[in-house]
Amino acid sequence: MSSEVIRVENLSKVYSTREGDFHALDKLSFAIEEGGFVSIVGPSGCGKSTLLQLLTGLLEPTSGQVLIDGIEVRKPLPEKTGVMFQDATLLPWLTAEENVAFPLSLCGTDKKESQRRARDLLKLVGLGDFINHRPAELSGGMRQRVAIARGLVRDPRILLMDEPFAALDEQTRFKMGEELLWIWQETRKTILFITHGLTEAIYLSDTVLVMGTKPGRIIEVIPVDLPRPRTFEMISSEFFGKARNRIWKLIQEEAEA
Amino acid sequence: MSKPSLIRYAILLALIALWFLVTAMEWVKPIQLPPPAGLWAAWQADGSRFLDAFALTAAEIAVAILIAWPLGIGVGAVFGSLRAVSAVASAILGSLFAVPAIILYPLFIAWVGMGPESKVLFGVIAGFFPIALNTLSGVRQVDESYVTMARAMGASRLQVFYRVVLRLALPSVISGLRIGTALIMISVVVSEMLASFGGLGYMIAYHRTMFDTGHVYLGILMALLTVLTVNWLLSMLESHFSKWQERGADL
Amino acid sequence: MRLSVLLGAQTGFFLLLAIVWESISRLELADPRLLPSFLTVLGVLGDLLTQRDFLMDLGITGLEVGVAFIIAAPLGVSIGFLLGEKLFLGQILSPMFHFMLSVPQSIFLPIFMLLLGIGFLEKVVFGVTHAIFVIIVTTTAAVRTVPRDYVTVARTFGATPRQIYLRVYLPAMLPVVMTGLRLGMIFNIIGVLLAEMDASRAGIGRRLFSWGEGFQLDLLLAGILLVSALTIIINEVMRYCEHRAARGHVA
Repeated sequence: MSSEVIRVENLSKVYSTREGDFHALDKLSFAIEEGGFVSIVGPSGCGKSTLLQLLTGLLEPTSGQVLIDGIEVRKPLPEKTGVMFQDATLLPWLTAEENVAFPLSLCGTDKKESQRRARDLLKLVGLGDFINHRPAELSGGMRQRVAIARGLVRDPRILLMDEPFAALDEQTRFKMGEELLWIWQETRKTILFITHGLTEAIYLSDTVLVMGTKPGRIIEVIPVDLPRPRTFEMISSEFFGKARNRIWKLIQEEAEA
Repeated sequence: MSKPSLIRYAILLALIALWFLVTAMEWVKPIQLPPPAGLWAAWQADGSRFLDAFALTAAEIAVAILIAWPLGIGVGAVFGSLRAVSAVASAILGSLFAVPAIILYPLFIAWVGMGPESKVLFGVIAGFFPIALNTLSGVRQVDESYVTMARAMGASRLQVFYRVVLRLALPSVISGLRIGTALIMISVVVSEMLASFGGLGYMIAYHRTMFDTGHVYLGILMALLTVLTVNWLLSMLESHFSKWQERGADL
Repeated sequence: MRLSVLLGAQTGFFLLLAIVWESISRLELADPRLLPSFLTVLGVLGDLLTQRDFLMDLGITGLEVGVAFIIAAPLGVSIGFLLGEKLFLGQILSPMFHFMLSVPQSIFLPIFMLLLGIGFLEKVVFGVTHAIFVIIVTTTAAVRTVPRDYVTVARTFGATPRQIYLRVYLPAMLPVVMTGLRLGMIFNIIGVLLAEMDASRAGIGRRLFSWGEGFQLDLLLAGILLVSALTIIINEVMRYCEHRAARGHVA
């Protein structure tokens, strides 16, 4: 039996507003297998962020459910899912190491042990020489690396990433993608990656889920049949171009609808 | 030393020299402005009384601080974190802050008498508003994404508040403490000047009616130095805790 | 719409305060000599407002505050503007004005009395010194908030210096300057009231203080209510102007 770590069943989220009910998400269903790398793309306002909040347990669904390791998510499960946002949200008064160890300090892990884990992870993300730097002394890309390390510090099986590289410049963004793939290969985590970037989504993932808007739902599942490791040349391959055009067309239609 | 600060010190020296000059030449009456030696004479004559007065004033200030700090931070933190009411609370505190606290002082005298209690009460009221207001706005301005992050990392509501929100608001809280504490100190001294039986303010006011000008200026100088010293200490604290902020702004 | 919600909530708060106060008296929770009921005080206030000599006192205080503001506002804005524009002068003097702002001016009151005597002039000057430093400092800060690009763009379109000042600097600085003026006004009122309380023959401050000393708490509370209401109104009106001036500004 294939092991599904994330299972989303008929997930709906309705916000009541003054103008009536707003269906942010409507009966979403999908599953992600252990060790998979899945991206979600879609036009603005398609409920990507709502989905992420539901997956992390920060929001409660109106109906349907999210299962992680077969357990229904009702509140944040930091030991199972690590999270990372567009903004690194590093605490400015803490060093890189202390920031990475922050989730451990919340659950009272032994200080020595936290320190050791934080250092190991900073080495993994290539910041071994910056453990005592504060966020203000790090570049945007470095801050996101610290945030990745922090997301991994409780050794979760899943990493949820909400447009993590959107604020970075094109070059850094590409480099961070490479880095992320490497970390993924090293740690064998399951990654759900929300993004605006079509190239990024295809380049990184096994599967791209395309979302439509009003109401938010999945309109197409696009498997990416490209070998790993991915290389820069693949971006100009025929398959890549076709997949990209297909997703672009879907999103355009949704945005116009 | 940079040129502007050199000029500033020169201006300060010139002012002191001017003081010596106008008093020596008797361009102003000694009853209006004593010569520097007049302050020294006052200290020699009544130094120990001044120290006693200082001790009383310092004690009143300390008690007022012990009450106003936790009260202001507490109220500000609570109302700042209640998103639904924080805007309203901020507007109400803001307009109350505009009311000159001094008009309440006669009421406090009537209620608790002319002793130290009315000074402490007045100091607390004066210091409370800036502390509460700054704490409130500091807590309100905390970026929601930090809260989301901490909650996703499994922080409890209490942990989010103590370890993230309050800490992020700290520079603002401390700057409120600086302003509030300055107001507490001024208010205590001023209320002693208006009506009391002791303290630095009393010494100043009493000797003014006696036209012992040296005493008046000495008392004011002592009060001034106290306020400036405490203010300086708190601004050191402020810059210590906002260091990471400034560096962030440089990037 | 949002402004009206805030205004409503503020009014509601003060109404609630009045109800609590009245209930305390009705339930006889407080000694009526120490806390006369709200409605009693309101009645006393109504009487006061028909008394000629009380209105004279109110007028005198208003005049002192007004004259002090009319002097301090243009003077403070001009000095602040000069300091912000003429960079070297600003480098020398700005820290001094910042320092003056942190100095507790209230405790210098006896010096003003010694130098200027007790009377209208002393009150006005004391009000001016309370108001002017905050106006200077905020105006200087306001000049520095005007983006250089605005001036450059105006120049490339051939604007004369006069046009640049009136049509670029002034509107761009206005919101921050308004904040400074509002704070200056609050400090000015505090200064004048304090000076009146400490020693004077006329003015609302004097009235409040002697009512307190004479345990005439109904009159005292009526006076406090009136002064609070007036200062809150002044503050809110100036804050409204600030909002108006800030419309269309980004930050």
